[in-house]
Amino acid sequence: MTIPNNKIYKVNSVRKNKNLKKDISPSVDIAHKLKVRAKEKENIRRKLAVTAKQLALVARENENARRKLVITAKKLALSASEKETARRSLAVTARELKRLHWTLEKKVLKRTKDLDQVRSKNEAILASIGDGLVVVDKEGKITYINKSFEEMLGWKSQEIIGKSMVEIVPREDVDGVEVQFKERILTQVLSGKKFVANLTNPFYYIRKDKSRFPVSSIIAPVVLASKIIGAVEVFRDITKEKEVDKAKTEFVSLASHQLRTPLSTVSWYSEMLLAGDVGDVTPEQKKYIEEIYRGNQRMVNLVNTLLDVSRIELGTFIVESKPTNIVKLVQGVIEEYRLQIREKRIHFSFSSEKSIPNIQVDPKILRMVVQNLLSNAIKYTPEGGRVFISLFAQKGNAVLFKIVDTGYGIPKNQQDKIFTKLFRADNVVGKDTEGTGLGLYIAKSIVEQSGGKIWFESSENKGTTFNVTLPLKRKNPKKA
Amino acid sequence: MTQIRKNKTKDKPIERKTILVIEDERSLLEIVDSRLKNKGFDVMTARSVDEVFNAGIEAKGMGIIAVKSIQQALDYLEDLEKVDAIWLDHNLLGKENGFDLIKKIKANGGRWKNVPIFVISNSEKSETINTYIELGINKYYIKSNHKLDDIIGDIHKHLDAKVNKRKS
Repeated sequence: MTIPNNKIYKVNSVRKNKNLKKDISPSVDIAHKLKVRAKEKENIRRKLAVTAKQLALVARENENARRKLVITAKKLALSASEKETARRSLAVTARELKRLHWTLEKKVLKRTKDLDQVRSKNEAILASIGDGLVVVDKEGKITYINKSFEEMLGWKSQEIIGKSMVEIVPREDVDGVEVQFKERILTQVLSGKKFVANLTNPFYYIRKDKSRFPVSSIIAPVVLASKIIGAVEVFRDITKEKEVDKAKTEFVSLASHQLRTPLSTVSWYSEMLLAGDVGDVTPEQKKYIEEIYRGNQRMVNLVNTLLDVSRIELGTFIVESKPTNIVKLVQGVIEEYRLQIREKRIHFSFSSEKSIPNIQVDPKILRMVVQNLLSNAIKYTPEGGRVFISLFAQKGNAVLFKIVDTGYGIPKNQQDKIFTKLFRADNVVGKDTEGTGLGLYIAKSIVEQSGGKIWFESSENKGTTFNVTLPLKRKNPKKA
Repeated sequence: MTQIRKNKTKDKPIERKTILVIEDERSLLEIVDSRLKNKGFDVMTARSVDEVFNAGIEAKGMGIIAVKSIQQALDYLEDLEKVDAIWLDHNLLGKENGFDLIKKIKANGGRWKNVPIFVISNSEKSETINTYIELGINKYYIKSNHKLDDIIGDIHKHLDAKVNKRKS
């Protein structure tokens, strides 16, 4: 760029020189020319200097650009090496992933194998359960049965999977009456109702070939996330148990018969001795004979109580319910115990609401309940104590019988055992009281079989209150 | 030889009642026999159904006499006809029990049909008790649960009531 500028300058100076030629002398002219030349040179030099500077500037700019390029090049080189590193590490990761994948695969395989093993083991366990097992969905359709089920009922798994359990296996009571769909425990369990097994009334399952066998079964809902998704039933053939039961009944009946004859002999002979049938007895002899008689009487009572218990347990109590005036019944029992009440100088009272309705119950067994509770109250209340019986009509068609005493009470830590068969609380065992530990067990069994409730409050050395409620009518009358 | 014993006490002016006691247990049979006599009854005893009928029926029908003499058999029969009440145990010696005795009595007809029967047994099976009630007995006692005098008292009352009825 600077070069063309110089040319222009030259042209200008040539034109000026032409003008000078016309009016100046040669020496002056030469000197002048020299001066001009020098000036021109100086100008040129200056211009050159400027150009040099400019060139230097350009050179510096170039240098800068070069440097920048170098930096960029370096940078590029750097990122390339980074890339290489990344590439390398990616390669490693890929290898690692591959390895992991492979291990995982191996693990999965092993786990699957393990699971298979567990599953087949579980299946083997389910299949080998000695009791019949059936699983149903929430519609009651069979989803699984085990081998015992197949053997007991004569059905093959493939024949009945997906079918309704209640329809495939009818259930009958002792008299051969089929249990209706709605009444089936399975139906009730699936609808979320609680079911309490009644072991005294066995049921029968009908096999494929229409024969039947007594069965004891437990049915439980299968609950997932608090929803009933089905049910599982385990049942077993109780033919053997029934046979044993029968043998037990027969034994009890036989034993009671065998015991009653000698008991009657002791009782009647001592009675006659006391009556003086074979001559007068001395007061001391009389006392001894009375002891024999009383001891025998205790055995008689024990035999009777044991028979009651076995009848309750075997369900052979024949219950003959009829409209019963409970007020009269209680008064009758009180009369039986008048003598004992007087002997222990117990302050006794009885009260009853005016309109107590008749209740539908077997008076014979209700009497046993009242007798047990009253005799306990008298027995476990010290001389001079108080016993109070009251009767109330209750809302919801029930009658409440309440008996309060100021007796020894039942220790707190033994209250949960008081209805247990043969249990007697420590505080009365040590006292001079007779008892078998069967009375409350019998009372509770009877009350519950009659559809009622029995409960108590007691505090040691202060007294006990027993409460019994009985419905006017039994809702689901069953043989007790 | 029959074991039926005729246990008459000395004649008394008042009308004496005869009780037939059938009980297999010897000790009980003896005490009941003795107590009834003490209370002024005439008592006949047996330990099996066979024993009750053998002497009478055989002597009457076939002429095969299982008693010492015809006279004795006839006496026995006469006494048997006089029975006013029967004290009966359920389980007896031999194959037959109280049910069989009552059925035979009813089959015999005549006055026997109306003889009051008191069953005193060890059994408290409802079926047993109900069967007796259906057969028309007067009362059922569970042996060990009753005093001897209470049962005898009941029989007394029943017979007295019958006498009063007849009189009125």
